[in-house]
Amino acid sequence: MRQTAAPLLGIGLVVSLVLLLQWAIGVGLVDEYTVPRPSEIAAALPRLVTEEHVASRFMVTVGETFAAGALATLVGTALGAALYRWPLMRRSFEPWVAVLAAAPLVLAYPLFLVLFGRSSLTVVVIAFASALPPVVLQTVTGFAAVRPVLLAVGRSLGMGRAAEFRRILLPAALPSVFTGLRLALMFGLINVVGVEFLINLGGLGALINDLSERYDLPGTWAAIGVVVLVSVCFFATLDGGERWLRRRG
Amino acid sequence: MAAAAGLMRSGTLLPRLAASVLLLAAWQALALSGLLFRDVVPPLGALAAGLWGVLADPGFWGNALVTGGELAAALAIGGALGIAAGLVFGASAFIAAALERWMTWLAPTPKIILFPVLILFCGVGPGSKIAMGAVSCFFPVLLSTAAAVRGVDPVLLRVARSFRARADQILVKVYLPAAVAPMLNGVRLGFGVALIGVLLAETKLSNQGVGFLVMQAYARFDMPRMYGLLIVVVCFAAAINVAIGHAARRAAAGPIAREN
Amino acid sequence: MLSVAGLTKRFGSQADGVTAVDDVSFDIRPGEFVSVIGPSGCGKSTLFNIIAGLQTPTSGQVSVEGQPVRGPHPAVGTVFQEESCFPWRTVIDNVAFPLELAGLAKAQRHEQAKQFIDMVGLRGFERRMPSELSGGMRQRVCIARTLAAKPRLLLMDEPFAALDEQTRLLLGDKVLQIQQELRQTTLLITHSITEAVQLSDRVLVMTYRPGRLKRFVTIELPRPRSGDAVTSPAFGAAVASLWADLREEASRGMQEAGG
Repeated sequence: MRQTAAPLLGIGLVVSLVLLLQWAIGVGLVDEYTVPRPSEIAAALPRLVTEEHVASRFMVTVGETFAAGALATLVGTALGAALYRWPLMRRSFEPWVAVLAAAPLVLAYPLFLVLFGRSSLTVVVIAFASALPPVVLQTVTGFAAVRPVLLAVGRSLGMGRAAEFRRILLPAALPSVFTGLRLALMFGLINVVGVEFLINLGGLGALINDLSERYDLPGTWAAIGVVVLVSVCFFATLDGGERWLRRRG
Repeated sequence: MAAAAGLMRSGTLLPRLAASVLLLAAWQALALSGLLFRDVVPPLGALAAGLWGVLADPGFWGNALVTGGELAAALAIGGALGIAAGLVFGASAFIAAALERWMTWLAPTPKIILFPVLILFCGVGPGSKIAMGAVSCFFPVLLSTAAAVRGVDPVLLRVARSFRARADQILVKVYLPAAVAPMLNGVRLGFGVALIGVLLAETKLSNQGVGFLVMQAYARFDMPRMYGLLIVVVCFAAAINVAIGHAARRAAAGPIAREN
Repeated sequence: MLSVAGLTKRFGSQADGVTAVDDVSFDIRPGEFVSVIGPSGCGKSTLFNIIAGLQTPTSGQVSVEGQPVRGPHPAVGTVFQEESCFPWRTVIDNVAFPLELAGLAKAQRHEQAKQFIDMVGLRGFERRMPSELSGGMRQRVCIARTLAAKPRLLLMDEPFAALDEQTRLLLGDKVLQIQQELRQTTLLITHSITEAVQLSDRVLVMTYRPGRLKRFVTIELPRPRSGDAVTSPAFGAAVASLWADLREEASRGMQEAGG
């Protein structure tokens, strides 16, 4: 009973808040020039689809996210594996990678604009650069967390380095690699949408920026709602996917 | 001194030195090659001049203070709300079951897209930047506080109950100190995203702050200055990160942590 | 001092539930040291939790000094099996914890806490953190902390279980010393027969699940008990007799577990 009751309560809470808002704006408690009525926001949605090409913008955003994410995963996993393979390199440079992971690299977006121009490439490169350090760290941690006894088994059977990697290390660290992919996609989406918004180029992020600059209040709120919804679904799917993978061992 | 000695003993000095030299050399080569548009990759001399120009400019420090103030306010508001909500989420299994999943999925959503709405609520001044930072750091602080509260060793709670401690005593004398270390890690993450939120908001719409200075340098195509600003920001972020990380490790003075 | 009457605890529904404790009744007189022994899974910990007021029985009643137990009783102090020092507090702040809850001023509670720190043999360690101490020393801090509340009944649930043999013997001696000095009424849960015989006036043997009172044995060894007592023939006889009882229950437990 409690299992289903609680999440339903969560949804119920959101729904009641929306209804409360509708009422509050109607009676003037909340300024309708700051927060448009939820009904108006909902009415703006079809407009987004037909006039603002929400669907194609969505594809642009998703495309850029997957490009950045896939690239960050490939490069990041390779770099992470290399750092793990040579402990001296790891000891020397893992702290540097940690600094990069914590640094606000996206702030350098004007720089990337100059380097790559106003194009999708800029967006993908920034997202790739921001996603790379966390993936590297995650990969190194994942490989390092493989229980030493498993490697000892391999060595006692006379396995060489390459075989050890293929048959023991990689399969054992695979869940971590998938976590790395999830992180890459996560950081990818955040940065893609963020940069689109900031430089007003491309997909859903640019849509929000566009509408806000046109002072289309219901449209802006609706677009924000769409992006939040897309994000939530995206991350919920990634979450579920990872949990399903882990359960399969 | 001790750090330097440790550096030499661990053998990382040589690779780091070599890597630094290689990177700097490659940079300089690229800068002088003429391959890229002038000053996009400035020669090291110009870079150093840009950095020095930033640090020696009182205008920079004035703007840095503005950004710092916005950041501090954002952390205070977002952090306090995040901790309060996190305590509730951690203590109440029901609320956690109802809302925590949503929070986990909302947490990675790009907050910068909320900026137009925040401007409506808080105006175009520092208020919207503070709001941006606060919204950004609320989520990581909430999630790590909730996890910290749930992670308190149950035997410690039983000890307090066996001494018939009141609920408020248990909260303050057991939950709070036990949860400090993981909470600090949440604050560390929160700091990172709050900084990004504040700076990006400043680049988007502002006439003061470090973000504004970055856009100003961009508009004038003063690349060395922009690089200088970025270097200062990255160093600042790294330093704070390390500081909070140390505080978190010291707070985790449990038997297990020390024995490692 | 302590009166347990018809105590029963069942987990789960009527049909397929588990009876952890079944109709257990016994009394403990003031100043007595009683041990409860039994095989793993016999409900000793459940019994402990109910007397400590941390769990409620399905039926039956527990009374301390004539008052029925409903929640942790002020006259009862508990020492748990697991590590339970507060890792962020110094030794003296750990020991002074119950006094702090009671609202005593810092100087007062530190002064009182020092007495108990001395009693467990940790003088000089007041300002140390638990992470700087060994497992045995940490458990001594927990014992001192419980004693600082001046409980009239001391409950201990296998307090030395996580420690190695030598530390266990030394701590056992220490507990004995304290008990004799304070004339402390004590109920000790243990699975070590030698420990039970060494420390107790009476030993309660429990059956394997469902946990019932099998035998209540009086230990006739003279007090004060010294290290020599452990090697006396009377000691060996008491241990052997208890082992005979326990072995029967323990093997029933192993069979049921499929071992």
